[in-house]
Amino acid sequence: MKVIVDRTKCDNHGQCTFAAPTVFRLDERGILQYEENVDESLRDEVEEASDVCPAQAIRISD
Amino acid sequence: MTTELDVPYLDIADPGFAMHSQAVRDARARSWYAKTNYGYAILRHEYVSTLLKDPRLRQGSAKWPEHNGVHSGLFYDWWTKCLLVLEGEDHHRIRRLLNPAFSLKHLEPYLPRFEALADELIDDFLPNGQVEFVNEFAQPYATRVLCILLGIPESEWPTIARLASTIGLALGVTLQQDLAEVEAAIAELYVYAEDLIRDRQVNPGPDLISRLVEANRNGDSLSDDELRNALCLLIFGGMDTTRNQLGLGVMSFLQHPEQWELLAAHPELAPAAVEEVMRTNPTTTWVTRETVVDFDYEELHIDAGTTVHFFTQVSGTDPQAYPNPEIDITAERVGHYGFGGGMHHCLGHFVARADMAIALRALSSKMTNLRINGVDEWMPDSGNTGPVLLPLAFDRR
Ligand code: HEM
Ligand code: SF4
Repeated sequence: MKVIVDRTKCDNHGQCTFAAPTVFRLDERGILQYEENVDESLRDEVEEASDVCPAQAIRISD
Repeated sequence: MTTELDVPYLDIADPGFAMHSQAVRDARARSWYAKTNYGYAILRHEYVSTLLKDPRLRQGSAKWPEHNGVHSGLFYDWWTKCLLVLEGEDHHRIRRLLNPAFSLKHLEPYLPRFEALADELIDDFLPNGQVEFVNEFAQPYATRVLCILLGIPESEWPTIARLASTIGLALGVTLQQDLAEVEAAIAELYVYAEDLIRDRQVNPGPDLISRLVEANRNGDSLSDDELRNALCLLIFGGMDTTRNQLGLGVMSFLQHPEQWELLAAHPELAPAAVEEVMRTNPTTTWVTRETVVDFDYEELHIDAGTTVHFFTQVSGTDPQAYPNPEIDITAERVGHYGFGGGMHHCLGHFVARADMAIALRALSSKMTNLRINGVDEWMPDSGNTGPVLLPLAFDRR
């Protein structure tokens, strides 16, 4: 599946990194970095990341 | 580039200090930061946005009890284990387990009950044409929303409101003096929380506490003590804030009646109304961080252990980020920091955003021509603010 973060909405709060730490991480300046192509087995984690994102910036496209 | 001599100084301990003042606006126009009695204040949106989430800073409230001479006891133990002050994996682990229960999809079933509550409270005072907004609407509404969410009988709201406000005293500079009262309130709230947890362990339902009891990630779950501490934090962090923010919101609209009429005519703008109120008139006037290491930022050298206040109203009305900063519920805006930002971003923001939108929509649909009706009374502008008394008169719509 494909993960899409809308950078105009994302404000680097990092809540997604708690939900799916192998997909999302903050770099040393606190900026979000993430994997775009993610294994299907991580779908639940990424959906949780999308649910808890304060800016509602994360989308999954199959 | 600001040189050392140009750096403004703001006396934020002065009871007369006001965020909405020419002195603060002038400071922001001159410099992105100011010096204060307690470390630096960050004034501009761009700098708040980057520094607030910089990993070289951590929560600044952790040492609050120590700064006030409190080194042990019930309050100390609770505070130092609270999500709000934990850092690193200790924080992230608890936040990971709490976050999903506070997402929009789990909140939706509660929204009709929030709507019914708003209508019930408004219908009680509507025939009078006047209301003391804090005690007759904002406080019961904010507290009963939490009761609904946590599954506490709504009839017990006065006790919950009293306990939350008493624990709130812990944030004042008279902490030492109030300590016995604060600790008694925490002990009482613990009993509530422990009863709720025990009940949901035996009788799980579709409610938020059951969800937290059952929350589990890769075999990890919250211990009973962790859950109890979290429930107390929710009540402490969710009541006063929502009450104050609602009072500030109504005051903003009283001063901008054309915006209130716009909201009444376009109830779908209620979520935008909440954002605009929090941007221009936030209850949390600053969030506090502390630097972990020495570092250089722009022209500033910051030593480890320096306190940094992020000003929310001041950055929320920064003309560089908001060319026309006055409240406008139809405008497209970049985000504000009324709910903080980064790892400690407010856990309850979806709840607060939804319940305040419901309240503002209901109030604007039934009341017009709002005016002050007697003497209003306000908390100072330091850290958390809002009305103590807000007597209003209005016409029925
Ligand atoms: C208008 C209402 C509210 C406002 C203005 C508000 C504001 C804030 C702010 C500014 C922070 C960040 C503090 C910091 O970084 O130092 C915060 C954190 C928090 N808020 Fe809220 N809040 C509101 C409602 C709520 C509600 C309703 C709840 C619970 C149901 C809640 C629970 C929390 C918790 C648990 C934290 C700590 C999060 C962490 O440290 O990870 N808040 N809130
Ligand atoms: S939680 Fe949302 S806003 Fe925060 S870093 Fe992740 S995508 Fe960005």
